[in-house]
Amino acid sequence: MYQYDSLDREILADRSAEFRDQVARRLAGEMTEEQFKPLRLMNGLYLQLHAYMLRVAIPYGTMSGRQLRKLADIGRRYDRGYGHFTTRTNLQFHWVKLADTPDILDELASIDMHAIQTSGNCIRNVTADPYAGATADEIDDPRIWSEAIRQWSSLHPEFSFLPRKFKIAITASARDRTVARAHDIGLMVRRARDGTLGFEVIVGGGMGRTPFIGPTIREFLPANRLFSYLEAILRVYNRHGRRDNIYKARIKILVSALGREAFARQVDEEWALVGEAGDLPDTEIARIRGAFAPKAFESLPARSEIYDAALADDPAFARFARNNLKPHKRQGYTIVEISLKAIGETPGDASSDQMDVVADLAERYGQDDVRVTHEQNLVLPHVKLEDAPAVHRALASVGLGTPNINLISDIIACPGLDYCALANARAIIIAQDIARRFADQDRAEQVGELKIKISGCINACGHHHVGHIGILGVDKKGEEFYQLTLGGSGAEDAAIGRILGPALPLDKVTDAVDALVEVYLRERQGDERFLDTYRRTGDAPFKEAVYAETH
Amino acid sequence: MKALTANRLTDGEVVFWKAGAWVERFADAELFDRDDPAVLAEGHAKSQPTVVVDAYLIDLMESEGLWAPVSYRERIRALGPTNHLHHGKQAEGGDAISALQHAHGAARSSGRVNLIKRK
Repeated sequence: MYQYDSLDREILADRSAEFRDQVARRLAGEMTEEQFKPLRLMNGLYLQLHAYMLRVAIPYGTMSGRQLRKLADIGRRYDRGYGHFTTRTNLQFHWVKLADTPDILDELASIDMHAIQTSGNCIRNVTADPYAGATADEIDDPRIWSEAIRQWSSLHPEFSFLPRKFKIAITASARDRTVARAHDIGLMVRRARDGTLGFEVIVGGGMGRTPFIGPTIREFLPANRLFSYLEAILRVYNRHGRRDNIYKARIKILVSALGREAFARQVDEEWALVGEAGDLPDTEIARIRGAFAPKAFESLPARSEIYDAALADDPAFARFARNNLKPHKRQGYTIVEISLKAIGETPGDASSDQMDVVADLAERYGQDDVRVTHEQNLVLPHVKLEDAPAVHRALASVGLGTPNINLISDIIACPGLDYCALANARAIIIAQDIARRFADQDRAEQVGELKIKISGCINACGHHHVGHIGILGVDKKGEEFYQLTLGGSGAEDAAIGRILGPALPLDKVTDAVDALVEVYLRERQGDERFLDTYRRTGDAPFKEAVYAETH
Repeated sequence: MKALTANRLTDGEVVFWKAGAWVERFADAELFDRDDPAVLAEGHAKSQPTVVVDAYLIDLMESEGLWAPVSYRERIRALGPTNHLHHGKQAEGGDAISALQHAHGAARSSGRVNLIKRK
């Protein structure tokens, strides 16, 4: 894990002191709300429906037990004993007081964390594979490049006032767990035939009002040229992005308007001007790489008697193992996914007590490493198989043993109208209702992988566009309605879902999802997932089932 | 019928206008049956930038013999999040909270419309 140096800490201390002064001036009336708002947003502080919300950056979704324990502590002291993990792999506190925020930023700085660039038209927290350093098919560790981008983009003067916010994702595995193709820039680590490390560069993906799967503008960019190339992309965007219209200001609109080839050509021209002076020296990358040196894994047998006995004797553990344990690159280890989707609970919420338990488990069994996934779950990436039963028992004792990763109740939902000032409709209540309908784990496993993603407005924080079943809350004359989309994917087979038909009232949504599942179970062939069946059959049978039952 | 609402600057708490002051409970809010005094109160509120943020008028309707915001968004602001019923003002319970929870009106919130216009 990357360790802050004295310079990093000075920056955070200065920033926190600066914000303390700004808050004092705002409270004293020396600054108007119009003057203060952009300043608080630059420190991740929003005013939502019921209170202020502070969005804390968890860099590329990676943190230590100590950091998670402090987040739990902040939740307990300054919020209502919990936090909300988001699709950007950040943590939001939903009940924060303005006057407390400078103290919270000091608390965050004490563990090398902050809320800088979690809002505003700047480069946001990078999304990286939550299995980084643990999955076998990884070409390189994406955290190295994520950390380098974090350092390069933090407080970067040229990129602090972009036309609109800017999100980068990095994956180094064939399985994309970052939704790379729906980011402003998606970087997929590649290795050339001669062994050179590089990236496939995707630009102009995104969700929101105008969703796009981003096109590849360069098949192979040598890794040592990454930063000059990023600079060139951002310069073209800074120069030509639509600052006159917020709905057309994201880079995806520019790429779409120019076309992939023309945009790539402009980037190449700019890249030539930037030159190698814009790249990080190899020594700097090597320094950062050193912080992510492979863990000291033990040489373990492939099988563990303790693990095998638990599988045989404890059906609850066996189910957890089937759904939440993923293959690790090292024999005798496993990746543990911790579901924050307990049936009937709020997706992404974790109580401070639960965070403490995960922090303890990370330190005791997981090499002090915790990850946040964009699907609003947590990961312990390095757990010995023989420790997995103990980890499961500890998780289950605090309501974190839900065995539903990638199943129908593992639903993404944004905070929606229960918290968000911009939302049209609630999202959480829909997720809770669907999860309760499919609470029978046998049925959920029979249905298999099915990703439901729910957004409370067109901004798509709940990633509904890339849900196998996407659900979008809309406002119909002041009432909550929900539009269904089918066939989206945020994985390596990325796709934008298609609208199934007219929006449904709130009380019809779960029945509609049930009807979609029944069509899938009827139509599926062999090992097809819901998405595979939909792609083969098209939407006709699904449409017929939903609209026959709801109208 | 209208009421005047805002978020309190120091903590973001949802507050309602009552005779020149701000109260936390919707049940205690001043009700305006004419536009003129409501608009006048809104003007006063906008001149209190160190007290509240984003003051605006909301439309009300009758529910169980009491008044409730017509807009669903405004009822959630007056109650708290529906996923955590022990959070927000709803935790207090009682008839006034119940009337808000059972209201069925539907209209766009002027607060949200203004927010989007300002973006």
